[in-house]
Amino acid sequence: MTDDASAIAASGLTKRYGRTVAIDGLNLDVPDGIVYGFLGPNGAGKTTTMRLLTGLIEPTTGDGFVDGVHCTDRASLVEHIGLLPEEPPLYRELTGREQLHFAADLRGIPWEQLEERALDIAESLALEGDLDRRIDGYSKGMKQKTAFIQAVQHDPAVVFLDEPTAGLDPRAAKTLRELIVDLASAETTVFLSTHILPVVEEIADRVGVLYDGRLVSEGSPDGLAAGSEDGEADLEDAFLELTADPERAWQ
Amino acid sequence: MTGSEGSNRETWRAAWTLSRTEWRTTIRNVRSNTRQVVGFAVIGLMVIGFPLSLWEQTTGFGRDVAAGTLPIGTVAASYLGVAFAGGYVGFVGGFNQSRVGVVGPLIRTSIPPTAVSIGRFVTRTVEGFAGIVPAGFVLLVGVGVGAGNPLVPAIIGLGAVPILGAGVIAGRLVGDVARYGNERLRMSLWVRAGLFLGLTIAVFVGTQAVLTPILEEGNMFGPVSIGAILPGAPIQAYASLVLVPLGATGGELGVVVAVVLVIVVAVGFVTAIHLETLLLVRDVGGDSATGRVEGTHGVPWLLDVTRSGRIAWRYLLRTRRDPRTLAHLTPVLFGALGMTGTALEDPHRLLSIGPPAAVIAGAILAGGAYCLNPLGDDREQLPLLFSSTSSVAPLLRGRMLAGIVLGLVVGLGVGIPLALLEHDPTFIVGQSVLAVVLAVASTGIALGLGAAVPKFERREYMNVERAHPSLAVTIVFFMGGILVGAIGFVLLWVALTETLLGGVLFLLGYTAVLGLVAAGGYWYAIRRFRALSLDGM
Repeated sequence: MTDDASAIAASGLTKRYGRTVAIDGLNLDVPDGIVYGFLGPNGAGKTTTMRLLTGLIEPTTGDGFVDGVHCTDRASLVEHIGLLPEEPPLYRELTGREQLHFAADLRGIPWEQLEERALDIAESLALEGDLDRRIDGYSKGMKQKTAFIQAVQHDPAVVFLDEPTAGLDPRAAKTLRELIVDLASAETTVFLSTHILPVVEEIADRVGVLYDGRLVSEGSPDGLAAGSEDGEADLEDAFLELTADPERAWQ
Repeated sequence: MTGSEGSNRETWRAAWTLSRTEWRTTIRNVRSNTRQVVGFAVIGLMVIGFPLSLWEQTTGFGRDVAAGTLPIGTVAASYLGVAFAGGYVGFVGGFNQSRVGVVGPLIRTSIPPTAVSIGRFVTRTVEGFAGIVPAGFVLLVGVGVGAGNPLVPAIIGLGAVPILGAGVIAGRLVGDVARYGNERLRMSLWVRAGLFLGLTIAVFVGTQAVLTPILEEGNMFGPVSIGAILPGAPIQAYASLVLVPLGATGGELGVVVAVVLVIVVAVGFVTAIHLETLLLVRDVGGDSATGRVEGTHGVPWLLDVTRSGRIAWRYLLRTRRDPRTLAHLTPVLFGALGMTGTALEDPHRLLSIGPPAAVIAGAILAGGAYCLNPLGDDREQLPLLFSSTSSVAPLLRGRMLAGIVLGLVVGLGVGIPLALLEHDPTFIVGQSVLAVVLAVASTGIALGLGAAVPKFERREYMNVERAHPSLAVTIVFFMGGILVGAIGFVLLWVALTETLLGGVLFLLGYTAVLGLVAAGGYWYAIRRFRALSLDGM
């Protein structure tokens, strides 16, 4: 177990594939009830980190805890987390509503308990009218919305979202950002991995920048932006500097 | 060089690049997986082993030729076989066009459509030949050994080339047209599955009807005329023409056939490429546009009692909407056709072997439907499964239950009505109990097999690209299922007709053993998949 105040904690978390080090001694401490923006260039290890913390893969060394549960204890972990991976895990032959029922059944939670919350979110995302259509007829954005509802309908303590706004139109993306903020307001911790820096700038309480498997910087969005060389408060500039010259950041 | 020549050269160069790359990726894919290497090695041994099993016949054939007896009928029959083999390769290549898969858009926007068509044609044809040419070569070696010189097999082999080419082209055109019709008509997937089944049965029954008299006469390899089974005169005339260097008398019909074959190859190739290019550019149909059902279906009360029941319902629902979720059972279907064929000779047998066959088929369906690759089948959904449920047990039980429901629809739904016509009530009750025992045991055993040899890599099979169960496991399960089911019926027969007490005791022992093995399979699957992570894929 770890500090009770930490929703996510990692200590020396490492993942190797043969000689390749995907995640290199990652240390994380994410407090409860915040939106944690997880940034990094392609191949930095963001998805691997999310997979490690959600128990989809096992660390080579080190420890990770989510809501106090070790990330290798998948049986206990599932009660605390929700996951929206990069590729929405949906059965194309089911309707959206059947998929949500299925996700509830997997967790052993009666649908009646989740229905109101799930349908409220669907209504916010303008998906309610399409829930009885088969998923193979959905657009990319509709699949993303369904997978998002699936990840949060059971009100988990920690939600992991990998590029949640990918494929969404501007209105849906805005609604989703508001929903993410609402989740954090309701004491759910949101671990948000994305490339879209304005999203992080807008809704994240804290930001971590991953480069080459290592956390090269961490802080508030404003704090990171203020640290950029040109002195302008711009998260994008800070991100570009950090990922162009990580040695400086590590120092 | 004219612009047209340059363009043609560019098209052929692009086609060659595509083919070469696809072969390379296929070979790398096989080499990177030990199980696939072993599988291919086994298939290779079978490809070589089958013609070797005919060594006596092929060397005898060679000796006949060397002795001056020219078995023209046998050569013609062999050429007919070559044409059918080529036709099969062509048909499969023409019908299965989703092979380009995820890189399709890249290819379509990078090289001329004609080059894509040519490249696909060449790739699939050469891959198909990999199973035919080595077998043909071994057969010809046997002929050469028998004849004592290489000239005889060389002549016969060269003569087979136009036949093989024409077979490939004809099959390709039929496959293209079938695919076009399939996509254009936008029939529901179940109608398509029904048509496919009907066509397969028709082909099987037709082949049985044609071949049975020949096989019963036992002169398949003799110098027979094939005129008895097909209008064989043209192909025999062609065979005579091919054998002219060895002393046969060529006729005008043989020359006409040879010319027609060359024309078929040339014109057919151009036509097939044009047709495929047209279909490629227009991108007719597509799976996403077919048979889409709208509306959410609640779980029936019978399955709504437990979590596993509700999960089972989703699998059944998915199959109802898309029968391709059972595409991996096609080899089982082909195997079942073999058994069904025996009923053709005597329809009354349908009533005697029909009920046990339905029960055994139901049991095989129960295990085979959802349990032979339990988590590989859910490859894309694993992040959801792993992050949602603390144990894979409810999911596996859901799969078992769904399989049992399907299996009992066949085992009881077909088995009982058939048994009512021929058997007494005691047998029907015994058979029904056996159907349930076999269906339940089958799912546990299948889970164990599926957990021992899980398959997570996607591959195309029967025009369906997903993580299919291991073909070897499927076949072993099918053959084992027949054997185990047959033993059960023998014991039931002993109990009902010979010695009731002894038979019942044997049946109880049989059920206990099956139950233990099935429970072991279930237990092993849970243990194996409990520790599974995305690392293991």
